[in-house]
Amino acid sequence: MAGTRQRILEATYACVARWGLAKTTVEDVAREAKVSRATVYRTFPGGRDELVTAVVSWATLEFFARLYEEVHDAGSLEEVMERGITFAHRSILEHDVLQRVMQTEHGTLLPALTVESNRIRQGIAEFLVPYLRQRGVAEGVDVGEAADFLARMVLSYISAPGRWDLDDPAQVAQLVRAELLAGVVAR
Amino acid sequence: MANQGAALRVVKDEAVGAAPPVHTRASGAPTDRTSPHRVAVIDATLACLARHGTLKTTVDDIARQAGVSRATVYRAFPGGRDEILGAVVDTEMARLFSALGVTLGESADLGEALVGGIVEASARIRGHAALAYLVEHEPDVVLGHLAFDDSNRLLGTASRFVAPFLARWMSPPEAERVAEWATRIVLSYAIAPSTTTDLCDPAHTGRVVETFVLPGIRALHSAVPAPAIDITPFAEGHRPDGGGPGGAPQSSGTASPTTPHTPSDHRPSTIDHRPSDHREEDRA
Repeated sequence: MAGTRQRILEATYACVARWGLAKTTVEDVAREAKVSRATVYRTFPGGRDELVTAVVSWATLEFFARLYEEVHDAGSLEEVMERGITFAHRSILEHDVLQRVMQTEHGTLLPALTVESNRIRQGIAEFLVPYLRQRGVAEGVDVGEAADFLARMVLSYISAPGRWDLDDPAQVAQLVRAELLAGVVAR
Repeated sequence: MANQGAALRVVKDEAVGAAPPVHTRASGAPTDRTSPHRVAVIDATLACLARHGTLKTTVDDIARQAGVSRATVYRAFPGGRDEILGAVVDTEMARLFSALGVTLGESADLGEALVGGIVEASARIRGHAALAYLVEHEPDVVLGHLAFDDSNRLLGTASRFVAPFLARWMSPPEAERVAEWATRIVLSYAIAPSTTTDLCDPAHTGRVVETFVLPGIRALHSAVPAPAIDITPFAEGHRPDGGGPGGAPQSSGTASPTTPHTPSDHRPSTIDHRPSDHREEDRA
């Protein structure tokens, strides 16, 4: 059953990549996944709307799974944040499907992505906690509080770099070491 | 739907900074910007949006709420509904920035300015009835401003407005970064409220600023060799032209005491004072 679900989501993603969110139908997805419409509806009783929400969630998790792969062997808090921000920034820019859907269908995408972002933020925060413990936080700083703050900032910078050039390793290092971690880590 | 989105997505760079919001959008007849009814129409629209959102608010509703005729509304806003919605966004941004300007201008030190500004912006966002309705019922209308490229634009607009107020305590390029950072903090907690940190509460914001932001600003300053920053509090006189208590010895700089200088070519500082030719390097 998990296999069917995965197959349908992968097929949905392929359809969205080809036709966008609005023009992807349950029929398209069933054909792409080589399953019947009934199977799609059995797996996603909410039909098209549920598929859209689920595929955004699925693609987001895929994205962060790749991010995890990229950073999980980092040796320090500084390194994990620098590598994570660099990789995430580049991946978002190079994410063709995300960029296309953002341009043409952000009205459908963004509410779903916003719901996801709460989960993502918690995931990033939980991931950072052991690095914060290992590095040691400044006196009076709570590890959970610091992790939540850093997760918020990471999400903010990777979705909109603003004045920072996140392709420049020197700027990323400055952002992470000088700006973000200065108050967090033990001196 | 797409049109309404477009109408609300008019907060562009040029709209901010100038005191009264100015529209240059093409429409049939020239807008009568002098119409005494414009503000009344905008406020009436805010009341309608707070009840019905953008989808169900008509020009008739707005006219009724404002107590004027449809013709009066169209004289003030010949572009009709879309033009009004654009003007509402610009006006609300201008109101937020003007309130922020007062708070920031009255602050005695950088910490007070950051806490005051973040609390002011957060409270205004939370207390905004029309915004609250849209977030609840038409999230795509609001979220369009807050993601990716549009978010970059919003960060740029807000930080360009706030930075000059922070330049009392640091160089202009640093002030822009810090202003952008403060904007990110406000937006993050406004979009995804925290169960433990309420930025409308000065005590909570004070903790965030003291714990995370001020140390970050200090570190940013010492990491960047060139720009100067002063984060020690000064109530008065710490201005390029001030030279009040604690003011930098003016003679150490590039400008002679008789040279007229502005914040952009002469950074106030008690820590460091260098030629201003590094400014471009600091920008992406």
